[in-house]
Amino acid sequence: MNRPATRSRANLAKGRKELQELIHTCDAIEQRKFNPFFLDVKLGVETLREYFPHWRKLEDHCLDAHTINKLSEVVRLQNTQLKFQSSALYADPEFVAKKIERMSEKRLSEVFLQGWHPLAELEQLTPEALTLALEYWNVLLPIQERWKRREYAVGKSPGTTSTETLTDLGIRGEEFSKQLRAMWNSLRAMYDRERKPVDYWRFVGGESYQETVRRAYLASFLITYGYARLHVEGDQMLLTPLDEPTEKASAGAVSFPIPIPKSK
Amino acid sequence: MPGAKGWELKLKLGRNYEQVLEQLNGLLSELDLEIMKVEELPSRETEKQAIPRAVDEARYVVRLKGTLGSKEAKMIGWRIDNLAALGASIAYLVSKQGKAPREDLEKILAHKFGRWKAVTLVDTFIRSGYLDEDDAGTTALGWRTRSEVDLRSLMTKMAEAKV
Repeated sequence: MNRPATRSRANLAKGRKELQELIHTCDAIEQRKFNPFFLDVKLGVETLREYFPHWRKLEDHCLDAHTINKLSEVVRLQNTQLKFQSSALYADPEFVAKKIERMSEKRLSEVFLQGWHPLAELEQLTPEALTLALEYWNVLLPIQERWKRREYAVGKSPGTTSTETLTDLGIRGEEFSKQLRAMWNSLRAMYDRERKPVDYWRFVGGESYQETVRRAYLASFLITYGYARLHVEGDQMLLTPLDEPTEKASAGAVSFPIPIPKSK
Repeated sequence: MPGAKGWELKLKLGRNYEQVLEQLNGLLSELDLEIMKVEELPSRETEKQAIPRAVDEARYVVRLKGTLGSKEAKMIGWRIDNLAALGASIAYLVSKQGKAPREDLEKILAHKFGRWKAVTLVDTFIRSGYLDEDDAGTTALGWRTRSEVDLRSLMTKMAEAKV
């Protein structure tokens, strides 16, 4: 009992698939991927005729109409191609591609120049342009006025501070140099005592976390400015003090970030 | 875009603007210039619905009547290889009835000028109006090619050219 219905469903599915394929081919032809005569329009129309009596749903009828529309576009392109082939402009694309490939750049440019008539263009001030410029000028505010508006975006002006504040912050040159020297002397003392490179974490470790961070900060300057050398051996980072510091950042220096965990 | 549309000229010069243009053409020919009438291409919708083109929609431009030599072309800022690529692109598109997928055009140019240069050249030609590109990536002859290039002459010379 169900066999005819199943066959009909299969037939419908086959019909939809064929129409979709037809639409894809028409699209490719429209996009100039294939020659318009690649598609046998007559066969396409016969396919439409074959399945038309089976369509019941609106979507199927829409698909049918869409396919007709696409086929008519292909017929239009075939017509254009025939007209084009009968005109003087017709040249086989393969032939042109081969010619382009074989001709030298100079010869190609010469051929193009023989058919090229560049446009002439004249640029000049017109009374209308001058009127526009004058109107703009008249409404333009003086430059001081325009700058005033920008003051809202300006940040806090530079201020002054005392040398004591800078010293307290550890920014002032002399104080900072003293701290560096003290660190360097401490590293040298440890190195002389142990007669081997000093473990980085043992050297920077302080009584509190803040102290450790401060010592690590100073140690980074010792390394950058040539007071000490940092080298890694396995999991261990070692510091070796240098006898004659360069006091200058070396040109080939690379950044080596060391995170300081709370446990240190 | 350079030039003026027919309706603009009609507004400024009156109904007989075509006669005025003819006289101007006579004067310009002494300077080796000419007036060229460029028909606007109908849009796909207009073409499908067979809507007649509006009167006076054509654009009139002034262009060089004669042609340039290689040295003159260089003097106005063109490189010989770029001119060769432009000629090749236009000839190829004409052979494909004025339209071709951009990748096909780039492939043709890449054989001669290298992959990266081909891409840059197509971009340059699109920017300067010699070629057009739609959303589907199809390239076509642009307004400037239709105004400046004698396609018939280009295709004939191309067919005649000795390799």
